Amino acid sequence: MALLKRVYDWIDLRIGAREIVKKELTGYLLPRNINEWYSLGSVLMVIFALQVLTGMLLMVYYVPDAEKAFRSVTFVMNELPYGWLIRLCHAVGSNMMVAVLILHMLSTLMMGSYKSPRELNWVSGFTLFALVQGISLTGYLLPWSQLSFWATTVATNSANAIPVVGPYLVEFLRGGKLVGPPTLGRFFAVHVAVLPVVIAAVIGAHLFLLKRTGISTPPFGSLETKKPWRPDSYSYQHHPGGIPFFPNYALQDLTSICVYFAIFLAVVFFLPNMLFTPDAFVPANAFKTPAHIKPEWYFLANYQTLKIFPSELLGLSIQAAAMTFLALLPFIDRSPERHPLKRPVFLACAIGGILLWIGLSVWGHFS
Amino acid sequence: MENDGRRKFLGVCLAGATTVAVAAAAYPVLQYLAPRSGAQGADKLVFATTDIPEGEAKFFEYAGAAAVLVKTKSGNIAALSAVCTHLGCIVQWEKDKQDFICPCHGGLYSAEGAVTGGPPPKPLAKIPVSVAEGKITVG
Amino acid sequence: MIRISAKLRASLFLASLGALLLAALAGPLTAGAAAPASAAATEQPETVCIQCHSALPDKLGAPVNLWRQSIHAENGISCNGCHGGDPKNADDAMNRSRGFLGAPKEADIPAFCGRCHPGVLKDYLASAHGRALGKGGPTCFTCHGNHQVLKASLDLINEKSCTRCHSFERAKTIRAAMQQTEGYIVGIDRRITGFQAIGVDTDRLGKGLFAVRNRFHTLFHDVDVARVRAESAQINTELAKLDRDLKVIEEARAKRKIAGGIAVAFMLLMAALVLLLKKTYD
Repeated sequence: MALLKRVYDWIDLRIGAREIVKKELTGYLLPRNINEWYSLGSVLMVIFALQVLTGMLLMVYYVPDAEKAFRSVTFVMNELPYGWLIRLCHAVGSNMMVAVLILHMLSTLMMGSYKSPRELNWVSGFTLFALVQGISLTGYLLPWSQLSFWATTVATNSANAIPVVGPYLVEFLRGGKLVGPPTLGRFFAVHVAVLPVVIAAVIGAHLFLLKRTGISTPPFGSLETKKPWRPDSYSYQHHPGGIPFFPNYALQDLTSICVYFAIFLAVVFFLPNMLFTPDAFVPANAFKTPAHIKPEWYFLANYQTLKIFPSELLGLSIQAAAMTFLALLPFIDRSPERHPLKRPVFLACAIGGILLWIGLSVWGHFS
Repeated sequence: MENDGRRKFLGVCLAGATTVAVAAAAYPVLQYLAPRSGAQGADKLVFATTDIPEGEAKFFEYAGAAAVLVKTKSGNIAALSAVCTHLGCIVQWEKDKQDFICPCHGGLYSAEGAVTGGPPPKPLAKIPVSVAEGKITVG
Repeated sequence: MIRISAKLRASLFLASLGALLLAALAGPLTAGAAAPASAAATEQPETVCIQCHSALPDKLGAPVNLWRQSIHAENGISCNGCHGGDPKNADDAMNRSRGFLGAPKEADIPAFCGRCHPGVLKDYLASAHGRALGKGGPTCFTCHGNHQVLKASLDLINEKSCTRCHSFERAKTIRAAMQQTEGYIVGIDRRITGFQAIGVDTDRLGKGLFAVRNRFHTLFHDVDVARVRAESAQINTELAKLDRDLKVIEEARAKRKIAGGIAVAFMLLMAALVLLLKKTYD
């Protein structure tokens, strides 16, 4: 203990560590009525870190070559000690990341935290959502199974509906007329080299914005006097008399992370095959389309939307419009009220939207 | 004050639990990364005597490392590690001089693996070899 | 009041976290169960044989429908596979110079089928059944039928069929000797398929079973009780080896579940500890 204190003193003398700790941890005050939902961001960062770590471990044995990819994944899953565990953590983790990200966004929506002055937080968060979907899609192809091959064929094909550039775009995405070895090369590069770096950078931006604007006060049982945000000059939103981030809220973050891990490990050990159909264990065959090819659960609503409209262009445009609407929500919904029960129109739209998304997903799953 | 005692107790419990969790996570990772034993076993290798003409050498992989089988002009057969004992480069057979030279720093070895010049500190390791009925068995 | 609502909110939070994660993931589970593992049988373009014969009456048209229900149809073996001829050209469909064979004479039946089933032909010819060929003994069609050939199984050895020529006694003994092995093979096959569908590398086991099954199938045409018994015993030991290998996989997976249970319980314990520690700061 004494030794640790001397090391800390030594560092403090040089870089002023105590000052940083005081400012960013113990002296970083959060609203008194902060709730559990605010810890999902920390959970997501842990999930992302774990994805990076398991991804690095998988890269030790994975071979990004159409001839060898499937074999190498089978080898990891069956021959290597604990290879199955690392692969399943990566595969389950990617699904969990999307699921927790959706929860994180829903809590932001319900508590109105996206509103002025936090438009940029919402936009950067929405960008992360799109990037995570992208990294999931590119990673899905890498095992080179029947499931990944044909799901990628269907997914890339939807770009065909874009007028003029559509067909070329599809070819560009695939690196050829059809999904094949060139697709694996580019998806691998995007999955392991491009998107992780971009996601890490946008997470950095997201946190920077959070720290500069200051954390929002939950709209429930607010004890703070409401000081409306005045857009004439920059001011950090302080929470005087609030609870310190460290140790109080850091312990909440840790609790949520532990609960998350319990759920995550339960899926990894007991329900891993929720994610895989038997086609996931058959090597890709470009000449044999299996029956019942469906995208991942979080793309089912998009998939069904494309199917129900008579023209693919219309389906795609509606999706693009919905996405743009969501991305620009803080610029459209400008009222300062944040309590969901005092925003009946918003609440009705939000619940309707969620039900529509669930309905489309279920329909897409059973169609 | 009561809180202090509870805090300390919980802190110790958590520190212990965290140590266990880290160890439990590290063990599979180390097992996963550990080199595969048995994948490069020291199995016996068999060559036909006709594979190597007199005065020539044949390089092959043995037990996960480079090895060489050499038949001198006098008909002697030797199996040696081809890894130079100086810094680990692979020695080359010089047919005209009937010796091994290491291309990295000019270490010289005889056809039997003894150091005849240059920096190598030790002779090339010998691998057991036997010749019977037109077959050379290494290992 | 505030404390109660805080507790409520916390449990609501945990419940939604768990429920949404699981609900979101539950979809593909049913997808896996609903989707049949094998793709539909390969569709063959209709041959000229079928085009004409399905319109013909009685003896000339009946084989088409019988064939449609056969294992041959399932595996994409069409008329020309056995009868020869050109299935793409109506003029040459029954041209002998194009390899058309027509229907075989009774004594030629084993050779006719044996072109594709040479192993079975050899076993049959060596058996009492085969030695009686042309002297009132049974041909392939006697037991297997002709156009509606079904997947071979022990059910073909039954009292009704065998007593057409002789008593059922000996056949019954043979069938009893093979019954257990058959059940063993079917059971192991089901376990291998099950493992394959959840990502276990069953390549080696599958090939092993294929070899054993083939060896077992050669017994079907042997009517020597002693040999069937001896061979069945050997095949059973081979199957026991596969059974052991499968048990090793099953045990490893059961161990994983135990480890998983411990890991989940441990994380919940950690969560409780951190939560209690947090409470000391409230």
